[in-house]
Amino acid sequence: MGAGPAGAAAALTAARAGASVVLLERGPFPGSKNVYGGVVYGRVLDEVLPRWWEEVPVQRWVTRRSTMVLTETQALTVDFRTVAWGEAPYNGCTTFRSDFDSWLAGKAVEAGAQLVTSTVATGLIREGGTVVGVRTDRPDGDLRAKVVIAADGVNSFLAKELGLLPSTDAAHLTLGVKEVLSLPREVIDERFGVRGDEGVDVEILGCTRGIPGGGFVYTNKETVSVGVVVSLEHLTAAKVRPEELIADLKAHPAIAPWVRGAEVKEYAAHLIPEGGYDHFPTLHADGLLVAGDAAGMCLAAGIWLEGVNFAIGSGLAAGRAAAAAAQTGADLASYRKDLESTFVLQDHKRLRKAPGLVLSPRVQGQYPGLIADLVEGMFTVTNPTPKPGVVRLLRAAANKHGVKLRHLAVDALAGGRTFR
Amino acid sequence: MSEAIPLTPISSYRGIGFDDRMDTVEFRVAERAHIVVDSDICRSCTTKACVTACPANLFAPTSDGGILFNYEQCFECGTCYQVCNSEGALSWTYPDGGYGVVFRQG
Amino acid sequence: MLIVALLRCTDLRAEVDPLTGAVSRDPRTASLSAADAAALEHALRIADTWGGRVLALTAGGPEADGPLREALALGAEVRRVPLHSSYIEELAVDERSLAKLVVSALGENRPDLVLCADRSADRGTGALPAFVAHELGVVQAPGLVALQVEGDQLVAERRLDFGRRERMRVPLPAVCSVEGAGVRLRRASLPASLAAANATIPLVDVALPASPVRVVQARPTRPRPRHLPAPTGTSRERLLALTGALLSHEPPTVVGPVGAAEAADALLDFLVRHGYLSEARTGWAVP
Ligand SMILES: Cc1cc2nc3c(=O)[nH]c(=O)nc-3n(C[C@H](O)[C@H](O)[C@H](O)COP(=O)(O)OP(=O)(O)OC[C@H]3O[C@@H](n4cnc5c(N)ncnc54)[C@H](O)[C@@H]3O)c2cc1C
Ligand code: SF4
Ligand code: SF4
Repeated sequence: MGAGPAGAAAALTAARAGASVVLLERGPFPGSKNVYGGVVYGRVLDEVLPRWWEEVPVQRWVTRRSTMVLTETQALTVDFRTVAWGEAPYNGCTTFRSDFDSWLAGKAVEAGAQLVTSTVATGLIREGGTVVGVRTDRPDGDLRAKVVIAADGVNSFLAKELGLLPSTDAAHLTLGVKEVLSLPREVIDERFGVRGDEGVDVEILGCTRGIPGGGFVYTNKETVSVGVVVSLEHLTAAKVRPEELIADLKAHPAIAPWVRGAEVKEYAAHLIPEGGYDHFPTLHADGLLVAGDAAGMCLAAGIWLEGVNFAIGSGLAAGRAAAAAAQTGADLASYRKDLESTFVLQDHKRLRKAPGLVLSPRVQGQYPGLIADLVEGMFTVTNPTPKPGVVRLLRAAANKHGVKLRHLAVDALAGGRTFR
Repeated sequence: MSEAIPLTPISSYRGIGFDDRMDTVEFRVAERAHIVVDSDICRSCTTKACVTACPANLFAPTSDGGILFNYEQCFECGTCYQVCNSEGALSWTYPDGGYGVVFRQG
Repeated sequence: MLIVALLRCTDLRAEVDPLTGAVSRDPRTASLSAADAAALEHALRIADTWGGRVLALTAGGPEADGPLREALALGAEVRRVPLHSSYIEELAVDERSLAKLVVSALGENRPDLVLCADRSADRGTGALPAFVAHELGVVQAPGLVALQVEGDQLVAERRLDFGRRERMRVPLPAVCSVEGAGVRLRRASLPASLAAANATIPLVDVALPASPVRVVQARPTRPRPRHLPAPTGTSRERLLALTGALLSHEPPTVVGPVGAAEAADALLDFLVRHGYLSEARTGWAVP
């Protein structure tokens, strides 16, 4: 259910294993309902689509990745670039979801899955405790199946129907809003210092008026995606309109020169599950598997914003487990075991504390200013007064932002443990 | 010639207007409203969280404390029902297959 | 009884580049306009009542196959006449040769009723139904907002000025073109959609009759906008730059007195210089 990356990947492996597969999508074509920031990390496709990079509908290959910390007037950037990411097997690429999802679903169809678009799954058909199919909104729309894979994204009403997901959970959801801005290709190349197929991925902290979250800027061929991701709970408490935050970001002195004169080509919004490992639902029920965002498998912790690769990873495993169950009656519990042996659950487990840490008030509200002031202090030439020492600067900056050095040490340690 | 009078920039005018922003998105409007708001329940709502949170700005508070809602230009993101303050104020479904928002880029 | 629904499948939100005027259409979002969908729905309803068969016919590129599969799932037979699908090539096809094309695609099957949209969403001359009626030698009822079967009669309604309506009986065979009003296309059942999902759409290969119209060039009718760098400097400087106050001007050119031919040449030169006309002035000559 759902022709996003999770559903398409599941349909691909299940169809390749010889199962009879229907891939159901509510939009008029795969990707038409989907929104993300802009970078797909495709290595997960290596095992099923060797040389995927030759066909993926790429905009640019990310060869430059920056992490920025912003305050209202300052910006600190850690900038990394490598030639290696611009050559096969590549690292990440920017692409549009309407293109990428259509392409991946096309691969599933080539493998023998049947894609049905413009059809909403409205509920599950259950017999006893077992899921035996789905209801759809088409006339005569019941579809019976040995296994149903709920890959219907963050709002997964199918998982909610079984009580696997809470019906509302604003505390563990973030809202992403983004603008696609059009600029001539040469202008993008010049402003971002890239050429040819090279692209840039910028993750930003401290640009959301203290609302826990972050921002991003990604380059496509002739457009730039700019957006912010903010905690739903705190966004509503702050009573700020989401598009205002994008406007803030675009007006920031460090970002404005990049997007000057650009025209908005599309505005979009979508939710992201950010609970991480500790808030995963049960991943299977009798006759049902949950994959991708429906299972909260998006790694959205500050400088990481990865969901498509996890959706694909979990989808591939779900497809395999479903095909085995349908053909030999194997136990669906193998799905979780399979996931545990791959990056999907291992990364999430390792980074289980990351969302809490990165979205914590200190990291969001105080540290950006502290770090920026510290660096500003270090590089401001104060002659004839002699240069202040780093420790004094750190104290002053910590004081100014109300951070106790003890907390700083605690968070540094927690950070070290989390990202170890 | 007199000295130039410095003009104060209008800081609240940034980028494009909201209507133009929404015009960049394609919506295939279905006959059935996929989200229905019960304005009577909203009248007793204290947060009116949906009003600022909805990225498409579809919730308009009315003078009598209720909510006027238009479903046509909805992103189907789910923000409103997630932040809604009162049980039962919103009935939220996806639009019928093929209708609703169509992202060209996403 | 054969009812033909002539459909046009196109991207209803084509993107027009404001700088070059290039039109890009996304094949994935090719669909029926409201009027085309209404035409198909009328065809299906009339066929239900009179027990006829519906043939959904389109001339276009492979992007039309999606909407045609939907029609197939709704119980229509489908055919596509393969046609160039680049925008400029499509512009070059005039309605009369298009009408000849679809009629020859029908071959020996003379339809009792042809339904189509009153005008296409993206080209919109609205002339096709008339030409089709002419080719078939049958009557035509354009601009319909309602179409019903009453007994063995077909009753159509159309809007007139001052809010009046006109009701008329349409004798068959006929070509009826409808507006996107009054009916909504039914949805195909899930089993039928599944069956149609991978169906190949049968092609009818007929050649496009030669057309007297030749499109030499298509571009925006406005002067090409120039790419202006974003303004810099204070608002006062920008105002000055925009209004051109305090700057020396090019004095107006006085060409005359000259003869009509030279005056025309001077004007054309001016228009070319300012982007209202393209250099290739010969391109605008009538061949
Ligand atoms: C603003 C933002 C930025 C992001 N940035 C990145 C990034 O840079 N890199 C990255 O890797 N990830 C990013 N992500 C995360 C990524 O988008 C998701 O994790 C990923 O799309 C999850 O894929 P999925 O297949 O599980 O769900 P989805 O992509 O949501 O797909 C679900 C599909 O199911 C369909 N569907 C839903 N309900 C039904 C139903 N009832 N019946 C039929 N069909 C249904 C939907 O139409 C949709 O096609 C971002 C997310 C957001 C919101
Ligand atoms: S938050 Fe819910 S109850 Fe409150 S106004 Fe909005 S829709 Fe109504
Ligand atoms: S789903 Fe999203 S866009 Fe639609 S009304 Fe709710 S908050 Fe607004």
